Amino acid sequence: MKHAALSLSLAALLASAALSGAQADGTTLSVGMASADAGTLDPHRATTTPDKGLLHWMFNGLVRIKPGQASPEFIEPDIAESWTSSEDGLTWTFTMREDVACHGDYGNLDAEDVVFSLNRAMDADSSSFAKDYGAFSSVEATGPYEVTITLSEPVPSLLGLLVPYHGGNIVCQDAVEALGDTFQSEPIGTGPFMFAEYQPQQYVKLVANPEYFRGEPAIKEIFYRYIPSDSSRDLAFQSGEIDMIYGKQEQTWVERIAEVPGTKVAVMKPGEMSVIHLNMSMPPLDDVNVRRAIAHAIDRDTMVQFKGDQVTIAAISPVPEGYLGFTDDVPQYEYSIEKAKELLAEAGHPDGITIKAIHTTLPGMLTTMEAVQALLRAANINLEIETVEHATFHSQIRDDASQVVHYSAARFPVADVYLTQFFLSDSIVGTPTAVTNFSHCDVADDEILGARVEQDPDKQNALWAEAQRKIMDEVCAIPIYQNLQLWAWKDNLDLGVEVDGSLNLSPPVTEEAHFTE
Amino acid sequence: MTAFVIKRLAFAIVTLFGVLTIVFFIVRVLPGDPALVILGDQANQASIEALRARLGLDQPLFVQYLDFLGGVVVGDWGVSMVSGRPVIQEIMNVLPDTIELTVVSLILGVVVGVPLGVWSAIKRNKVPDYIVRIASLLGLSLPAFVSAILLLMAFAIQLRWFPVISSGQGDTIGARLRDLALPAINLGLIMAAYITRVARSAMLEVLNQDYVRTARAKGLSFAVIVWRHCLRNALIPVVTVVGLYLGILIGNSVLTEIVFNRPGLGKLIIGALNQRDYTMLQGMMVIYTLIVVLVNLATDLVYGLIDPRIKYQ
Repeated sequence: MKHAALSLSLAALLASAALSGAQADGTTLSVGMASADAGTLDPHRATTTPDKGLLHWMFNGLVRIKPGQASPEFIEPDIAESWTSSEDGLTWTFTMREDVACHGDYGNLDAEDVVFSLNRAMDADSSSFAKDYGAFSSVEATGPYEVTITLSEPVPSLLGLLVPYHGGNIVCQDAVEALGDTFQSEPIGTGPFMFAEYQPQQYVKLVANPEYFRGEPAIKEIFYRYIPSDSSRDLAFQSGEIDMIYGKQEQTWVERIAEVPGTKVAVMKPGEMSVIHLNMSMPPLDDVNVRRAIAHAIDRDTMVQFKGDQVTIAAISPVPEGYLGFTDDVPQYEYSIEKAKELLAEAGHPDGITIKAIHTTLPGMLTTMEAVQALLRAANINLEIETVEHATFHSQIRDDASQVVHYSAARFPVADVYLTQFFLSDSIVGTPTAVTNFSHCDVADDEILGARVEQDPDKQNALWAEAQRKIMDEVCAIPIYQNLQLWAWKDNLDLGVEVDGSLNLSPPVTEEAHFTE
Repeated sequence: MTAFVIKRLAFAIVTLFGVLTIVFFIVRVLPGDPALVILGDQANQASIEALRARLGLDQPLFVQYLDFLGGVVVGDWGVSMVSGRPVIQEIMNVLPDTIELTVVSLILGVVVGVPLGVWSAIKRNKVPDYIVRIASLLGLSLPAFVSAILLLMAFAIQLRWFPVISSGQGDTIGARLRDLALPAINLGLIMAAYITRVARSAMLEVLNQDYVRTARAKGLSFAVIVWRHCLRNALIPVVTVVGLYLGILIGNSVLTEIVFNRPGLGKLIIGALNQRDYTMLQGMMVIYTLIVVLVNLATDLVYGLIDPRIKYQ
């Protein structure tokens, strides 16, 4: 009896302590992110989803994509109020707002800051995105609040390079110079939230920027917590210790988390597209009939069912659906084992073929490849999968070591980016200009390069569409599906916008976000 | 004794040097490129090469190795290739958390494990013995991350006594203990399972010795025989195991730290491995080696405390 009373009072004590830990004032937002720790928080260097997701809430660009959207068709003013471009598309002049303040004591943001920032983004020593700005010949302050960008050749989406995503994040010159190396762990921006504190392996704390030019945010503090274990993150969301959670990217997660009372699940664009790249320089994949046979043997409907139809959409073109320049008017290879076998026989492989893939052990990607393996087996195509750890995978496929490469990626949603990185001959792996052309595809160079400098949007779209048709006709790669971004948050958190997508891969938490009770 | 310690420490430096050399080359032989990880998958080959040059990875291996050794000798462990923060600072930020967790778990393991083992030996082949043996077998076979999730489901979700996120950052002792409780119980019970089994078998061996029979014959109470005479003689293997398993404990603490979301070396090393953060991995190996060497030394010294017949030369 005495024991029971003691343990009861102990329980009460612990429970009260547990409750006092939670923030009940309705202005603190706790977010759970799948990462062991912060990487670099320099917006011109950060490339990972966890880092980009946090920086999303701290920075502005000259322009931005409307919060809640991911497509460049929703580009609207941000730091720039208005802009004009010359007829040849080579000179762009931006007129800035005059009321933009840098976080902390770093003062007003003017044209010199923007010039400094874009030059920093263009410099390979300070930026991971320098190559995106290859066509920039100069960035100049042509007035205290006016910036002029001169290009050496037109680019397909100049405004897209100026949204706060990669190099378009605007930093404050004084802050970068004053902080030096510290800037990468205590970044200074102009956005609704500003850096306050970093606890190693625990969280980054952001606080509301009272000087924010769109108004002071209703949320006063954000704890961006690093919780690498999927199960622990789910449990922390269930127990109410976090309000917003980055999901495990699977449909079963959506079904499970939706059962937690008071939860809103968000399925956001852009999707990561899973594509099977076929190395056209290695037999038997150098024969187009073999590649078409493989395309016929993969059943997209089955794959979408397998991954879950709430979180995936079938992919038919080498450019993901929803990207500027996408077309679905491409050669399609309906699911047919007979056709696959016929094509293989025509190619001189009546008894089937064996092809090899080096593949990552990441479970989400591996299950996809195993399902493809099972589908191919029906057509006498034996896909051997050699699994290696993820960083090894990335390094080996760039050494041109794999016949078949399964790659899953989201890019800035303009056709040019996907086509250039994956299907332009310059990008073929193993070359000095290599990016991620694993298939050695070189069939659409003229169209990809032509579209890049085409000023007429209709003609540009026609060139992109032709490139997609040629790539599918030659079957450089087989697109499978797009995997959308999964998040969930408490339904008493109102973000103030409808969330359909987010380029920066985290939900838009802006000055308008607030708790409703 | 002092000479012994100095000799052992000198030997430790040799060990450390060997480990550093092996680690240096192993992380570089591993496929996977830190420059690619840092720049992300949209980088082109030219920018990857540029970053490799900036990180010094384009230098011949031998030059990199000499640079690295030179740095270690003067205490410069470099900066993390990924975050750009000094390696030593990143490790020292979280080392106290790992030590706190490991020490508390160890104490818990000894406090629970030794009495259970002794009790089990005394009650050999009776019901208490069977129960203890099955329980310790369970503790040995249940992976740390499974027991961690079970503890969280029971005490953080159902009963709500403890938080899911054990940040270990509490301001008061109470808050700190509350954060420490579940992770320490998780690791401590695994440790207890090991210790119970060793304590039991060591005790069984001692209980059959002639001097035990003599002691009983001259009329000493059973409790005095067990706790004063037998336990002391049975402790040597237990201390050996505690020393050896401290390594396992630190290994299991990786998973425990991740599931309970505690800061610590575990989260650091997982991140460093995934990102091929060479400098960080090297720094962590120095720390792990130092810990193992120091624990071994401590184990040797404890032997002398338990058994005065042991001499250090």
